[in-house]
Amino acid sequence: MKTKDSTTYKIVDWMGFGVGSIATAVDSTDGSVTRIRPLHFDDRHTPEELNEWKVEARGHTFKVGMRSYPSMLSYAYKKRVDSPNRIPYPLRRVDWDPQGERNPQNRGKSGYVRINWDEAAQIVADEIARMKDTYGTTAIFTQADGHGEPKTIGGGHGCMTRLMDIVGPYTQQARQPDSWEGWYWGAKHMWGMEPVGRNANQTNLFKDVSENADTVLLWGCDPETTNEGVAGLLPCRMLNFWNEIGIPLIAIAPDFNYAAAAHADKWFPVLPNTDAALQLGIIHVWLTEGTYDREYIDTHTVGFDWLVSHVMGHEDGIEKTPAWAASKCGIPARRIKALARHWARHNVSICHGEGGSMIRSAYAHEPARLEVCLLAMQALGHPGRNVIHMQSWNLYFMSHLSAVPTSDVVFSFAASFTGHYVNAATMNNFIPQTLVPDAILGNYTEENPLTWYGKVICSLPRQDQYTQYSYPAPGASRIHMIWTDTPCWETCWNGGFKMQDALRSPEIECVVVQHPWFENDVNFGDVILPISTKLEQDDIEQGLMSGSYDVALNALPACEPYGESLSDFEAVMKVAEKMGLADALLTSIWGDCSDAEKINGVPYEKAKRFAYETSGLMYEGASMNPFAAPEEIADAPEPTRRAWVPDYDEFAEDGWLAVPFSNSCEERSAGLYDFWRDPEAHPLMSDTGKIEIYANALAEHWPDDTERKPYPRWIEQGETHPDERLTTPRGEEYPFLMVSNHPHYREHANMDDIPWLREAGGKVIGPDGYGYEPAWINPVDAAKLGIESGDIVRIYNERGGVLGGAVVTNRICEHAVLQDHGARVDTVVAGVGGLDRGGANNLIAPSATTSKNCVGEVTSGFLVNVEKVDVFELAKQYPEAFGRPFDEAYGLIANPHIIEEA
Amino acid sequence: MRKIFLVDINKCIGCRSCQVACKDEHCDNDWSPIAKPQPQTGHFWLELTENERGRTPYVRVDHMPKLCNHCADAPCMAAAAAAGKSDAVYRRDDGLVVVDPEKAQGMRTLVDACPYGEIFWNESLELPQKCTGCAHLLDDGWSVPRCVDACPADALRFGDESEFAGELAAAETLQPELGTGAAVYYLNMPKRFVAGEVYDPEEDEVVIGADVVLRNVAGNTARTLKTDDFGDFWFDQIPADVYSVDIKAYGFEPVSLSTDTTTADAVLDSVALRKIQ
Repeated sequence: MKTKDSTTYKIVDWMGFGVGSIATAVDSTDGSVTRIRPLHFDDRHTPEELNEWKVEARGHTFKVGMRSYPSMLSYAYKKRVDSPNRIPYPLRRVDWDPQGERNPQNRGKSGYVRINWDEAAQIVADEIARMKDTYGTTAIFTQADGHGEPKTIGGGHGCMTRLMDIVGPYTQQARQPDSWEGWYWGAKHMWGMEPVGRNANQTNLFKDVSENADTVLLWGCDPETTNEGVAGLLPCRMLNFWNEIGIPLIAIAPDFNYAAAAHADKWFPVLPNTDAALQLGIIHVWLTEGTYDREYIDTHTVGFDWLVSHVMGHEDGIEKTPAWAASKCGIPARRIKALARHWARHNVSICHGEGGSMIRSAYAHEPARLEVCLLAMQALGHPGRNVIHMQSWNLYFMSHLSAVPTSDVVFSFAASFTGHYVNAATMNNFIPQTLVPDAILGNYTEENPLTWYGKVICSLPRQDQYTQYSYPAPGASRIHMIWTDTPCWETCWNGGFKMQDALRSPEIECVVVQHPWFENDVNFGDVILPISTKLEQDDIEQGLMSGSYDVALNALPACEPYGESLSDFEAVMKVAEKMGLADALLTSIWGDCSDAEKINGVPYEKAKRFAYETSGLMYEGASMNPFAAPEEIADAPEPTRRAWVPDYDEFAEDGWLAVPFSNSCEERSAGLYDFWRDPEAHPLMSDTGKIEIYANALAEHWPDDTERKPYPRWIEQGETHPDERLTTPRGEEYPFLMVSNHPHYREHANMDDIPWLREAGGKVIGPDGYGYEPAWINPVDAAKLGIESGDIVRIYNERGGVLGGAVVTNRICEHAVLQDHGARVDTVVAGVGGLDRGGANNLIAPSATTSKNCVGEVTSGFLVNVEKVDVFELAKQYPEAFGRPFDEAYGLIANPHIIEEA
Repeated sequence: MRKIFLVDINKCIGCRSCQVACKDEHCDNDWSPIAKPQPQTGHFWLELTENERGRTPYVRVDHMPKLCNHCADAPCMAAAAAAGKSDAVYRRDDGLVVVDPEKAQGMRTLVDACPYGEIFWNESLELPQKCTGCAHLLDDGWSVPRCVDACPADALRFGDESEFAGELAAAETLQPELGTGAAVYYLNMPKRFVAGEVYDPEEDEVVIGADVVLRNVAGNTARTLKTDDFGDFWFDQIPADVYSVDIKAYGFEPVSLSTDTTTADAVLDSVALRKIQ
């Protein structure tokens, strides 16, 4: 029986930014996707040929295996191609007239009429010209970042910035370190670890933990869920290996998360965003019992006395005893003491995914910094005493961010990447993602601007945070036009209801959205451009961050484009053509291109060949690493041809290329071993080369910051978050802390309409047949509130409410409610104080950022209340919203938004 | 040679790759004459079940893939024969049991015939449907079905019965009392647990190294362990039964408790020990 016509190869994950991880083979039949399956490297290679990495520990052997490890999200992705929410053709909001009334107040309410590509591109081109004439091009705001499909020629996020680079200075939404806010704003100032702020010395840490750790703490963030959509499931195998060789795993989180459920031997349910209290309680035990490495503190750290002073209460009169910690974090004092003593007697490592309440809450810089203190007090870097991160391996092409072996070949298809290329040096007009609603709604002028510190780009060093920036920037306009290819702000950032108000502001005269699906912020678009998925596109792709083999893929289309959809770059080319800038845009990337080379305006074959031949694959010493310093390039040896790498034509025919692992990985010392052994010879990237428990730079730059002080501590309340804890007065009115993790059944805002994932556990079907976003509630709390599994609840605070489908479970601690972030917005009442049926809880997250001088997001660990609701009563109250058509399997159906055929 | 599935519950991480890969293979795809398309929802030719046990914070979650058992003595085949349509369900040479999508048309009785609930009714096609072991792929050269190919943890394996001979002795099948000769075997099938914490309320300290003895009600088995660094004891993989729990620690009054795991796991509240005066 014929089970396919053809096979192509695609990275199917949502890392975004041109570089992905998860290699898959995509089979097609009759022009449709048949299946998405793992890539099996042993179809063509022996383990010896690819130098399969392995770790031997305690009589057991772990092998990376000769295959890729996609998750359920990848396997489900063909459902996004034929999603009922695909945008079939360009659309214009029916009551938005670029020549007349624009009715910004109706964004999110009005329907859409069909227009053709020619009209759509002309409208966008005309609006750009109008902005330029009226306000200057800085009035144009681009939202172009976040986790979407990784593509090269297809660009993914940010293709419009390539055009805007030619048009003139524009205002960017600045990409933030959204899964590691606390480490970025806090830990970085203690130990450098540029640019991520969390332990950047990951080399060989899987090996080190396997060989030397007695206990591993799965602290704060779920290393399995956060990898599903960005790196794949190799980390699951690694945690299984630790189970197999008998390393006890202790989960410390408010929720018994998916990694914990699969692997943990024990669970310490810490209340959301109270990790700092637990950490201080542990430190108190070590200080009072003398069970920490005083010599290491003397030789490897500075400023320890500040921490001692805080813990012993010399500063605020409150001794941070285990009993005090228990009153904040919910873990009994005796168990805090037991954990502290166990830790002091064993080689203990911490294991993280990213995201989660520990690192995305108010004042997240404190638990991030205190974690470094804990590690330091037990001789961080000693074999078996480290902090291993199970993701972002090879991020920024940095192999030392990988806890598993890597290849020696650094290659990049950046030469043909059409998405956003962040050039921090020339980035003068920007708004941090977290401040966008405030920027739009606030009455800011050049004389009275909105200010903040840092360009906040996640790849910048900590010194970036020392500089203050403003909106509007000197000489720049306020923003009046938004061009987004990332229409998910409402359900991904801090305070989405306020963003809804901002998107309806008359300040914003035009919203251009390009996206494959009608969802979330697309509802606020004035012009909507239909985009194809990567499965429909021709491209060349690379996968670098899975821990398995790095791959290069000839990613041919697996199916026809849906409707009139185009790739992101093709869509931007349409606009460029109308502006007379098409040639300039193409030339800026690929030089002169003949018409014969172009399909939909893009020279695909030329672009693929160019990407491959300049990638650094074929020639040793010819790295195209865009992050390489000029002197590094200048000093590079004469390139030599790698015999095992085929030329482009052979690669294109083969479809995929796997890169062997390095022979020398095992020789590299693990993690911070060298620093542990000799801190003078192997200093950290901090100013002093040591762990700065008291960071002078913070004291110098922000002498008056009463929140992020130069040393870490417990912040019960501060000027930015005066009342966001159970133990502050507002905790009486809102007696639950929200846990809003990276979602398990989708990737951020992606894929919330896939029926297979929704039924797998992604939704709770309510009595009205609607799929509600699950909300985990502990049985003790549920009993008090009269809530049973399957009931529909409202989770709310002053900022508004979202509905959820109750799941009464012992997997969440008391006084907390867990609802994954990123659910598809289905607004009942828009704006601050509103109500959302979809369960998009970012809508009710605080707008206030991490702390006064840290504009990180606060999207977890905030106060809410929970109550049972009657959806039939709500339907009577809000007949329009509850009358919207939905499908029990797919959820909300977007088509009715299109009210008129052309 | 008969093909079997072997599931190792200890390795299964509950990622649902198997369940969703099955959907990817069978929804929107017509593999006639082996199988017609599976509906988008409602059918679980392979279902990853998740069973939460215990109480905060002593929680375990079992993950278990369930699928057609491809029984040697298949009740569905018997039901088809009884209905006079013995060719509506057939067994292949490799042992996989296939519901013929043409000949089984309209035979709702097959759904009820499966004691494991692994045959599903396709309302729009009026067809009983179930796992085929991806026979269409095996016939096209695949060595394993999609679910097995998708498993990242080697928890779900498939092959000739002889390949797994050494492991099957320790494996179980679901509801063995049915005697259907199931071809889906499970290693480390979850049993019950009794867990708790021992502590000294006077000092507010956990009690480490306390002797804990678990005896079943008949008194014929006893397990012992010492509380760990956290004062915890955790008797895992024990039979469902009524137990006594005796806790002794030097300097403390001994404590005897009883607990019942016949219907669920037992989490004992934090057990306070009184110092001997």
